Amino acid sequence: MIELRKVSKIYELGGEKINALDNVSLNVDNGDFLAIMGPSGSGKSTLANIIGGLDSPDSGQVIVDDENIADMNDKKLSNYRNKKVGFIFQSFNLQPTLTAVENVSIPLLFAGIPPGQRKKRAVQCLKAVGLENRLNHKPGQLSGGQRQRVCIARALVNQPSIIIADEPTGNLDSKKGGEVVALLKSLNRQEKITLVVITHDRSVADEAREVLTMKDGRLT
Amino acid sequence: MGFFDYFRVALKNLIRQKTRTFLTIIAITVGSLSLILMASIIISIRQSLVDQFQQLGAFSLVTVVKDPNAISNNALIGSNGDPSEGKRIDDTTLATLRLIPHVAEATPILTPYAKTIRLEGQNKKNWANLTGFDPASDVFNLPVTFGRKLTSDDMDKIMVGSQFVQDMGFGGHPKDLLGQRVLLNIQTGPGSGPDWGALPQQPPLNADKSWYEAQGNAGIDIPAEIVGIMNNGTLDNGQSYINIAWARKLMTRVSWQWDQQKPEDQQSSNQKLGQPYTPSIPKLSLVKEDDFTRNGYATIILKVDDQANITSVADAIKKIGYGANTAKAMLDQINRILTMVGIVLALIGGISLFVASIGIINTMIMATFERVREIGVMRACGATRGTIRKLFTFEAGLLGFWGGVLALITSVGLGQVAHLIVNKTHASLGNIPIEKIGNFPWWLIVGVIVFTSLLGMVAGLYPAIRASRMDPVEALRYE
Repeated sequence: MIELRKVSKIYELGGEKINALDNVSLNVDNGDFLAIMGPSGSGKSTLANIIGGLDSPDSGQVIVDDENIADMNDKKLSNYRNKKVGFIFQSFNLQPTLTAVENVSIPLLFAGIPPGQRKKRAVQCLKAVGLENRLNHKPGQLSGGQRQRVCIARALVNQPSIIIADEPTGNLDSKKGGEVVALLKSLNRQEKITLVVITHDRSVADEAREVLTMKDGRLT
Repeated sequence: MGFFDYFRVALKNLIRQKTRTFLTIIAITVGSLSLILMASIIISIRQSLVDQFQQLGAFSLVTVVKDPNAISNNALIGSNGDPSEGKRIDDTTLATLRLIPHVAEATPILTPYAKTIRLEGQNKKNWANLTGFDPASDVFNLPVTFGRKLTSDDMDKIMVGSQFVQDMGFGGHPKDLLGQRVLLNIQTGPGSGPDWGALPQQPPLNADKSWYEAQGNAGIDIPAEIVGIMNNGTLDNGQSYINIAWARKLMTRVSWQWDQQKPEDQQSSNQKLGQPYTPSIPKLSLVKEDDFTRNGYATIILKVDDQANITSVADAIKKIGYGANTAKAMLDQINRILTMVGIVLALIGGISLFVASIGIINTMIMATFERVREIGVMRACGATRGTIRKLFTFEAGLLGFWGGVLALITSVGLGQVAHLIVNKTHASLGNIPIEKIGNFPWWLIVGVIVFTSLLGMVAGLYPAIRASRMDPVEALRYE
């Protein structure tokens, strides 16, 4: 259960204050599939980052599984990101010098998992996203869709309860994008992972159980 | 993340920018190499001194000198201070000193002055540093490599150092020098000379200035048979040893002396008094003068039964009114000088390491700029600020570590090269034992690596803190 209570976040840009989030309150049930839509600068990324523990609100509470992550120190918040959240990015953000397995292992490294087990779990996750034949490929040797699958495997590797995907299909054609969304949806259904997807793409939003639209830092 | 994870990740990151990493490491290598070489030169000089002292048994020796205010100098044998100051050293002194508790052995020392020494049949000359000692005493532990030690019966016999053999340009095996003769050139004067061989030329009654000048710079070659060759290290390689009885003979001079003034001088002094005078003809007589009778021994060297009693013996000697030198005092003084030289050299090396650590800072700042997104991803994947900071600090430490390792490898290599050169050419750098450079004590190896690693980590701290303070959201958005 994710619960946002009157969450506000103000950015200062060139001396001008921008309300990225303006008193946003929101409930997301465990295993829900939530899509957030809205124009650029509407605050949807800020919302996702605050749920994911990458950003902290200026005021308000963000309660995930009975804990207010808005109050957490760096160590606790990092642990929260590590154990409970998986991030999927529009530009994949894979490490070009590392193989698929090594990229997927990164969160396990910070979780203090011993090297042998790291590899085993990374391979498992890559199999789950259908990349068992690309284990030792570097991102440069993979197609866009495959890269996003590596990114999904990385998000999954620590068995999170929440996955936050910021424009996961933004850099993919509609066919590959559809495959990625289907993969995410199956994870949401089978593993009961809460899915928060930010998207411009109507067809992605249509797959979600709930669609929220944001404008000027508010939910509409 | 465990230690090995940090190590692996840091290593991988360093390999990504091979050239830059290499250049940064080279700077550290050069800096620490200069430190290592300096340290090892100082250490090996000190060690070789201690070794030689020990070989000679010098740590149980006390040198008694005339001047009670003499400071310790770096000559183990021979006097220092003002030789005309202080009390005379003679056989009575020797007997008194033998009575001091813990004195095991004693030998008087005479240092006859010979201008040069050379091999018979050769033209190459060297300064002669002759030490006359009592062969019956067991004070010196002279390291004879070929031949034998002197005995009390040995007159005109000599033990020479290996340095001498080299300097004489002797090409053959040092062993072949045994039985050959060296010529000690002892100065003669006008109508005077050593008490050896033919008597000096008698000055004619009408001897003028030019006659005296012509006689002034001559010398007599006195032969001595080589009976032993010593490898007495760098401490006093130039020293040659002879029996003290023979030394005393070498220091005995004969000279022709007039029993009264020359006739013309007699006349002039008497004429002044206005009296008539008939000058008498002066007669020459041969005068024999023993330097020992006039000046006594140069020093006496005592051997103490145990090194621990050195100080008490030295104190007892000072109470009698003589100066006392010990190897320990000498070594302390040399150590002080070496420490000072070391500090200066360390400063120079320190400056180059300082510059090298600026290189590390630069490299690491570049690395943080290149990896902004990567830092963002790591943060999103659960890395704390501390983890990021440690990663970058570790990476910088690894630069220092490899710099130190490379410096050690290089210096061991240089040591081997020096070794080869020394072995092939018998080259020497004065008292610096170059062949020992590269023989590092374990603490220097560990110390250098720990030091350069820490230096790298300290240098990496600022870039690491910068990296750890990046906002993950900004970092992920960074283009």
